[in-house]
Amino acid sequence: MSRFHAQLDRAFNARVVAVVGDKRHNAFIWLRGLRNFSRQLYSVQIEPKEVAAIEAMGVRNVRSLSEIPEPIDYAVLVVPRAAVPSALRDCARQQVGAVTVFTAGFSETGEVEGIRLEQEILAIARQANLLVIGPNCMGVANPRLGLCNFPGEASGPEAAGPVAFMGQSGTHTITFCMRAPAEGVGISKAVSFGNALTADAADYLDYLRTDDETSVICAYIEGVRDGRRFYDVLRQTTPTKPVILWKGGVSAAGQRAIFSHTAALATPQAVWQGMVRQAGAISVESQDELLDVARTLLAGKSAHGWRAGLVAMTGGPSVVMTDVFTETGLEVPLLADASYAKLAQFFRVVGGGLGNPLDAGSTIAMGFDADNLKRLLEVLHDDPGIDLIALDLGGSMSLDRWNDYPTKVQPVFDLLAAFATRSHKPFAVVLEAPHRPVEVAQRCDELRRDGVLTFASPQRAARALRRAVEYWRFRAGVE
Amino acid sequence: MSAHVLESRDGFRYVASVSMRALNEIEAKALLAESGLPVAPAELARTAGEAARTAERIGFPAALKIVSPDIVHKSDVGGVKLGLTSPQEVVAAFEAVMESARVAAPAARLDGVAVQPMARAGGAEVIVGVSVDAQFGHVIMCGLGGVLVEVLQDVSFRLIPLQRRDARQMLSELRGRRLLEGMRGRPAVDMEALVELFLQVSGLIERRPDIRELDLNPVLAYPDGVLAVDARVLLEEPP
Repeated sequence: MSRFHAQLDRAFNARVVAVVGDKRHNAFIWLRGLRNFSRQLYSVQIEPKEVAAIEAMGVRNVRSLSEIPEPIDYAVLVVPRAAVPSALRDCARQQVGAVTVFTAGFSETGEVEGIRLEQEILAIARQANLLVIGPNCMGVANPRLGLCNFPGEASGPEAAGPVAFMGQSGTHTITFCMRAPAEGVGISKAVSFGNALTADAADYLDYLRTDDETSVICAYIEGVRDGRRFYDVLRQTTPTKPVILWKGGVSAAGQRAIFSHTAALATPQAVWQGMVRQAGAISVESQDELLDVARTLLAGKSAHGWRAGLVAMTGGPSVVMTDVFTETGLEVPLLADASYAKLAQFFRVVGGGLGNPLDAGSTIAMGFDADNLKRLLEVLHDDPGIDLIALDLGGSMSLDRWNDYPTKVQPVFDLLAAFATRSHKPFAVVLEAPHRPVEVAQRCDELRRDGVLTFASPQRAARALRRAVEYWRFRAGVE
Repeated sequence: MSAHVLESRDGFRYVASVSMRALNEIEAKALLAESGLPVAPAELARTAGEAARTAERIGFPAALKIVSPDIVHKSDVGGVKLGLTSPQEVVAAFEAVMESARVAAPAARLDGVAVQPMARAGGAEVIVGVSVDAQFGHVIMCGLGGVLVEVLQDVSFRLIPLQRRDARQMLSELRGRRLLEGMRGRPAVDMEALVELFLQVSGLIERRPDIRELDLNPVLAYPDGVLAVDARVLLEEPP
């Protein structure tokens, strides 16, 4: 259990939150971000003009932390950096559960006064056994409680779910909190921890490892203070919860004295990749990929093999889909003879192609023949040589047809939803039309609500499936 | 005594001064052989006559390599002669190796040469190494070896200690793994012997964490076993 478990528990499930600071230092961003906080929020401020504005927002203001008549679980400091030490001492006196220091200007500046102040914060925190999150960060979020760390983040039951995010970057954390619920990924907890002064990545990971509300952990990491400890916690986590790691700072250059070839080749990036694989975690390169993999894992199907059965509407896309899946390290084998025998009963080879991928537009009326589409997917599902199924819905052409024949859309989407539910094999649907992002988002949202796993391109589908299979194999002990 | 800069490119830089000592090839191989690693034996010869007698005893063809605490990259200074088939050739090679080392590295202390039997032909060249990462401590590397290893950069890493599964995955991650799996009439190399070697190296580092860097390059991988023909070890000295 995390050495900061109790403090983090109080912060993430706070009953009472206090924001200490003024408008000039962006305290109002925090107060607006916490507008939907379902429990008790206080502002701490003495400036009369500010107090009037705060009260106009409907927030209860007090003149000092000591005026708050109940235990404070979580405080956010939005004050000038020179005032942080005294504000922290106040928090310690009031036995605040955990404190986020939003203020920047400490060790990350590399400048003497910033480093000195950070050391002072560390000394205060250690003496009081106080958890300081940050400094230079956006702190904790729990959308279910409306405990948000930025205005505009979704909150309430719609935004809540089983995925946690922890990040060294405030922006990446906020973006995740805004974006993930919009893409059907509900958030259990999120934390931005900046300079990682008293608690480091390993501590937050360790907390999420034992958090009952979290079943998938996403992280944005630039560096870890104690690599071995992070590795140990990571290794303890992955057998029960997937951990998806997005590493920043991979291109920075460095030098070292070289004796051996090994030391010359042991770049931080190469070592990090090996460590991630060894620990059974998943490495991704962007927030897109982070969310794609999380959704794939949450879809509830798993496979231990790489063999994909592909369906596309027309020739070119089916060729490119094969290229993309193969380049990603997946396989696109021929189907079993029995499968081709079944397909021969209804598959139209004129204007199509029988193999793998199945170039099936004419057979399934560009997706509108729900019966034939169902038969086709069933053939792939029953083929013992296929582990994964992917369907390209036909992009822009299909968006047009769906607009032209609105009544024909629902039966097809119902069929896809029913198949996604029934299938034992991971099933990915691709809808690629980057020039029509709004329509794609709407259609994908419709499909996702019915439990269909959708992707914006075959590349993204292939990469997510590949990463997910690697994890499923690790978890099942398949080498 | 030398200062060693440990540097992480991930935002948590630190500089540590520890004193280091490079073992010569003879010492390095003795250390590895004691731990049961498959290394080609090498003996130190300080004179041409001693080199010729040693070669006669261990058998031809023989290889000579310069031994100096100041020369890390032996072939860069013309310090390696291979495939010597007679005492006369060994004597000539001894003089040649010592002379080119003197010319290329005038300040280097020359202890003599390492005499070893030529390894049999046909092995695939693999590198196995160890270094210390500033964030994660001791790591092990494997890759396609030889002199081009830093150009090809076809390597994979794991943290020490290593499990068998990790060792197998390291090999499977190499882009050029087909060279090991057998192709164009070349038989597959002994993968299990490579896996065993990785595990032995991992075990050695657990017992001897004072080893800061290690290169076994090349390790020759045959269809029936593996043999490290060159070894380089950097030790951390007690303060």
